[in-house]
Amino acid sequence: MVTIAGANALRSYRQSGVVTRLTAGSSVALLLLLGAALASLSLGPVNIPADRVASVILSYIRLDFSAFTHTELLVIEQIRLPRIVVGALVGMALGLAGATMQGLFRNPMADPGIIGVSAGGALGAVAAIATGATGLFFLALPAFAFIGALGASFLVYGIAAVGGRFSMATLLLAGVAVNAFLGAIVSAIIILLPDNGALREILFWLAGALDSRSWEHVRISAPLILAGAALIVLLARDLNLLALGDDEARSMGIRVGVTRIALLGAAALVTGSAVAVSGAIAFVGLVTPHILRLVLGPDHRVLVPMSALGGAAFVILADTVARSLIQPAELPVSIITAFVGAPFFIFLLIKNKRQVYSL
Amino acid sequence: MSSKRFSISIVSLAILLMLLALTCTPATPTPAPTSPPPPTTAPTATPVPTPTPVSLASYFEGVPGIVDPANFGWPREVEGLNGMVTVPAKPLRLITASIGHDELAVSLIPISRLVGVGDPTKNAAFSNVASLVQDLPVITRDPETIIALSPDVVVTSPFFGAEGIDALSRLDIPVVQTDLAQGPAERIDNILLMGYILGEEERAIRFAAEVQERYEAVISVTGPSQPKPRVLALTRYSDSIWTAGADSTEGGVIAAAGGINAAEDAGIVSNATTSLEGVIAMAPDIVIIPQPVEFGAGDFRQSLLDNEALAEVPAIKNVQIHIVESKHFTTLSHWNILGVEELARLLWPDLFSDPISYEFSLAE
Repeated sequence: MVTIAGANALRSYRQSGVVTRLTAGSSVALLLLLGAALASLSLGPVNIPADRVASVILSYIRLDFSAFTHTELLVIEQIRLPRIVVGALVGMALGLAGATMQGLFRNPMADPGIIGVSAGGALGAVAAIATGATGLFFLALPAFAFIGALGASFLVYGIAAVGGRFSMATLLLAGVAVNAFLGAIVSAIIILLPDNGALREILFWLAGALDSRSWEHVRISAPLILAGAALIVLLARDLNLLALGDDEARSMGIRVGVTRIALLGAAALVTGSAVAVSGAIAFVGLVTPHILRLVLGPDHRVLVPMSALGGAAFVILADTVARSLIQPAELPVSIITAFVGAPFFIFLLIKNKRQVYSL
Repeated sequence: MSSKRFSISIVSLAILLMLLALTCTPATPTPAPTSPPPPTTAPTATPVPTPTPVSLASYFEGVPGIVDPANFGWPREVEGLNGMVTVPAKPLRLITASIGHDELAVSLIPISRLVGVGDPTKNAAFSNVASLVQDLPVITRDPETIIALSPDVVVTSPFFGAEGIDALSRLDIPVVQTDLAQGPAERIDNILLMGYILGEEERAIRFAAEVQERYEAVISVTGPSQPKPRVLALTRYSDSIWTAGADSTEGGVIAAAGGINAAEDAGIVSNATTSLEGVIAMAPDIVIIPQPVEFGAGDFRQSLLDNEALAEVPAIKNVQIHIVESKHFTTLSHWNILGVEELARLLWPDLFSDPISYEFSLAE
């Protein structure tokens, strides 16, 4: 039975002018993303004038603009560009997963870490380093992190679905418990590890950064993130209906259980892939969808794709700041995202006090 | 203490001691009420006879932390980072709770007086004295592990927690928290202060002379040598590339070995992350990798050589990327003199033909 609130929400959803907002939002977000990418391409310890950056880019479409050196080409092509693309993919994944989690939990303070993805990824990475698996094959660390991230999210989901009855409240609590449990294992490994070199590796990975990212990182993360992103975007309409409540969604023809699993799985997939290539970058999944929700409204058909673009732009900009602020030294990008994200999170806590207390 | 002042003092001491020997008057240290005079150790580098109390004081004047450089009796006071500490009697059971302090202590007192060390000091990848301390009990961050060993004094680094110091102080265990110098040039003061705390002044003077002699043997050659190559210290942990700028241990070693620290030149202070692009911008002539091979130094070196974007960096172009012994470049003890000697031979191969002695004298 459809409630009055549900019917009102449904009406506003139908009358929301999705296409207009999607077009306007996409235009702004794409411009922002492009601007962030160009800024990131132009700034760095190696001084490459903007016209030469432009000529390198234009040379890909066989346009001669001005001359550039071979070193400048390589710096842009082999160092800056893969880093920007990995940053964009990671930001896109975290933004998408954040929007999905906030929609599923109907809570603006939910983030991808809530289902244990970050803690699982951290455990996978720590296990790879502590056991020496990182020395066995290239990309062992992201592979372990990915397995850990997905494993943790399945564990959380499995706990929430025990007995055949799935509950979002149980999922939330299971996420808290699994996060704490995996965090304790990571802490125990860090404390008991006799090997200082491995310890350093672990701490640096946990800090979350995009330095030294290559096209290999793009190759391993892009297919999974893009596949997960496509699934979430396709299910954005269903996410809107789930936000009305399970009964309302069912009455609209949604297979609630299957849809929820698909969304959770896709969110875990994109987050796990992102964590695997960047470490844990905080607050992107929390801040990006929330800001965009304030600007564009709660319709997930707009919010989900915009969160992808917004997250990508946010991470690229944050990384540009991280590597430009004290060059040729640089900061981990997670420090910059936390500097922006933490105050915003506090603002959310204060603003949504009542909602937090009611959880 | 400047090297010139130290050298003058050594000469003065030698003359004074020759006169003393001629008159057959044995040196008489300030009475130590609680313990016999420390055993003298035959130094391997520069034999120096036992100094007198008057000459002793001149060595310890101006050493940061020593309150009264003329007081060689007990109790004696030192000013640590944790404030004024009274050492009531010559410590016979010592704990030095950091690798750098442990390495200093091992050269100043017999191992039997060191009653426990941290786990890292037993790890040969990071510690220069690992083989000497394998049989010692292990201490941890838990003060109880220290209390259980009943030390007479604990000398530790600024990283030892205030709660731990408080817990030990409440049990009347004196804790002196001292900072160890980053560079080899300032190491002498660390040796003398440690010797003073332990009541091993004579051994400290001899050992300081040994270290200073080795240090000066390098800088006397590298100081005037020109042109100075640009050296960049790089390590890589979990894809993050780290370098060492001003006020870093590696930076001190690079300067003493006659190089220009490219990271310091680029404005980097202490240890900081950088990027491949940062490496290009700093344009080093030589890259050193003070990282154990088992922690990926070989792979890192190869990745630098293989990266096409770095091909024009002088160090990569000329294949001047050297994996060096990390524990000689990152330790906060006299062992980084070995780092200076190793790097000097890489930078100026024509000027150093003699082999390096990978040993320092030990206390007996």
